[in-house]
Amino acid sequence: MSQLATFIDKKRQKKPILAMTHVVYGYPSVQESLDWMARLMEEGVDFIEVQFPFSDPVADGPSIVAACHRALEQKLDVDTCLSQLGKLAKDFPESRIVLMSYLNPMYRFGLEKLAKRAAEENILGLILPDLPIEQSATYRTACEANNIDPVWLVTPATPKDRLTMLAGQASGFLYCVARSGVTGHSSHEGKSHERKSHEEKDQTNQLDDYLAEINSHANAPIGVGFGLRERSQIEQLTGKADIAILGSALLDAYNEGGQEAGIELIKMLFTK
Amino acid sequence: MKSENGFYGQYGGSYIPEILYSSQQQILQAFEEAKNDPEFLAELNKQWQQFSGRPTPLTFCENLTNHFGGAQIYLKREDLNHSGAHKMNNVIGQGLLVKRMGKKRVIAETGAGQHGIATALVAARLGLECTIYMGAKDIERQYPNVFWMKQLGATVVPVTTGAQTLRDALDEALRDWSSSHEESHYLIGTSCGCAPFPEMVAFFQSVIGNEVREQSVAQFGQFPDRLYACVGGGSNACGLFLPFLEDENVEMVGVEAGGKGLELGEHSIRLSHNLGQPGIAQGFATMFLQDDAGQLQETHSIAAGLDYVGVSPIIAHLAETGRVQMTYAMDDEVIEACTLLLKKEGIIPALESSHALAGAFKDAPNLPKESRIVINLSGRGDKDIFNVAKAVEDETFPQFLNDYLASYPTFPADNSHANKEQNA
Repeated sequence: MSQLATFIDKKRQKKPILAMTHVVYGYPSVQESLDWMARLMEEGVDFIEVQFPFSDPVADGPSIVAACHRALEQKLDVDTCLSQLGKLAKDFPESRIVLMSYLNPMYRFGLEKLAKRAAEENILGLILPDLPIEQSATYRTACEANNIDPVWLVTPATPKDRLTMLAGQASGFLYCVARSGVTGHSSHEGKSHERKSHEEKDQTNQLDDYLAEINSHANAPIGVGFGLRERSQIEQLTGKADIAILGSALLDAYNEGGQEAGIELIKMLFTK
Repeated sequence: MKSENGFYGQYGGSYIPEILYSSQQQILQAFEEAKNDPEFLAELNKQWQQFSGRPTPLTFCENLTNHFGGAQIYLKREDLNHSGAHKMNNVIGQGLLVKRMGKKRVIAETGAGQHGIATALVAARLGLECTIYMGAKDIERQYPNVFWMKQLGATVVPVTTGAQTLRDALDEALRDWSSSHEESHYLIGTSCGCAPFPEMVAFFQSVIGNEVREQSVAQFGQFPDRLYACVGGGSNACGLFLPFLEDENVEMVGVEAGGKGLELGEHSIRLSHNLGQPGIAQGFATMFLQDDAGQLQETHSIAAGLDYVGVSPIIAHLAETGRVQMTYAMDDEVIEACTLLLKKEGIIPALESSHALAGAFKDAPNLPKESRIVINLSGRGDKDIFNVAKAVEDETFPQFLNDYLASYPTFPADNSHANKEQNA
């Protein structure tokens, strides 16, 4: 079993569901983002997912897009970022860091070099939402050689045979996108606001079926993200998923009330 | 041009979020079937003819030819399409494909607004719901086009992220598609994006080159010696060039936007002069203008339609293999070429197409008198009235605008309501 999956298994013996919290590297400044990561791990989150910003983040919604663009007003460097995350990983051995970005900045840095450097800094998982598994031979080989996990995504729109394939290929954990669309609140979900309560129930059942289907094929723990911001959602996932991934909602809270508001949200969502 | 699994050499491919996988597969399959279906092709030809006015003429330019004293100059008149540009060839094709797939809504990105208008026209005709993403800065610069899109019933969404131009509009259209893939089709305007879009758009645009093959033989008994096209996204260049790919004696020249200068941010030159770098973004691999950290950069051109950070993977590949020769034209050379065509031939070219003119005019005097060149006049210039007026320093134009504004009726404040709703 991979280092990441082993870590998740071990933690899961004590906790019903693990928390992965997302932070945009460099937002609002490099130091503030590093402080925020340290604080999250101090508070005991199991994982942080660090997003290295890209100018054109097409899978992200308005909150994360704005944070990435703001972060890119300064020059950001992948290698420096990895070193800084490596220090955090050392300081907080009870938590793990995974790195998320888009393909282009990582491709420019070099996918083989990325895998090697990530492993050196104890970053055990990488998430690249715009790299399809079909085009990933070099990247997968590099991850394997360095004993880190390329994390794959599945979605409710993924056809069954493909879902089976991706679940079978999963290493570290499988990232299950909870719904169509981009991360967080989106200007494109006009219809969902009008959703009636019986439709919401259908949605709940659909998510349960979707997770059950994934669970029956997955070779790795599963994490669920996209659109999580309420305690009822986390409760619904408990027992069906290993990790709840908190992205835009946490960023929105941080933007509203800084670190304290962010921590309050996490406690509200995850404390028993 | 057939791809190898979506790739043209090292360019192209499909790099999209997993959520779009099914929709992309659906388009792949629908296009594969449609392009081999005689009924679909017959309907396509009928709509091209009856709605867009095809075939467009190949016009000999005697005055320009005499002026330069070199090659004989012909123009392929894509400016005479309905909507005033070659964009129509593609939106008619994709519009029919949308009907075939049974989808009810189209999403499109637009820079200057030409593709937005073309999409809105076809959506109105085919009874499709239509949402156009356009950078907030482009909306400011190109309001007349926005006005027509709205009148045609489209929803125009201002994109306020990033630089608020075409690249951001494309990102936002992809985000919409991620949410709405079940009922919506992303009607991309150029031969970029994930497979099969480059191939599909090039296929629909190839009507340009296919007509030139027939017209050149009919008018001067042989294929042209050289072809010229401007290259923004690359769809009009693909359209003219690809049908001649196997004809080795036909040389091809693509002209990019040199803008104000060769500093990053001042131009849109991705292929000539080694200014772009290989990258993977917005769903595909191509040459992008980016910094050494892989962040995409700002671009500039006097022609909004050429102001794009990437380029068709097909053109990138043909440039790399040397089949297409790439060059560029600066903003001021473009205005000069535009003015010359106006004065010598009585044709008003789009500033985008004026890049192709500028590139060809540089070569024309040095080419043999018996050689024939065809320049793709991809669009007409009526839309550029404000920019050209400024560039030629027309003194009367500001007065006209002031007078017009002074006589423009003011509406009660809550009238803006209607506009807002359309923008929601």
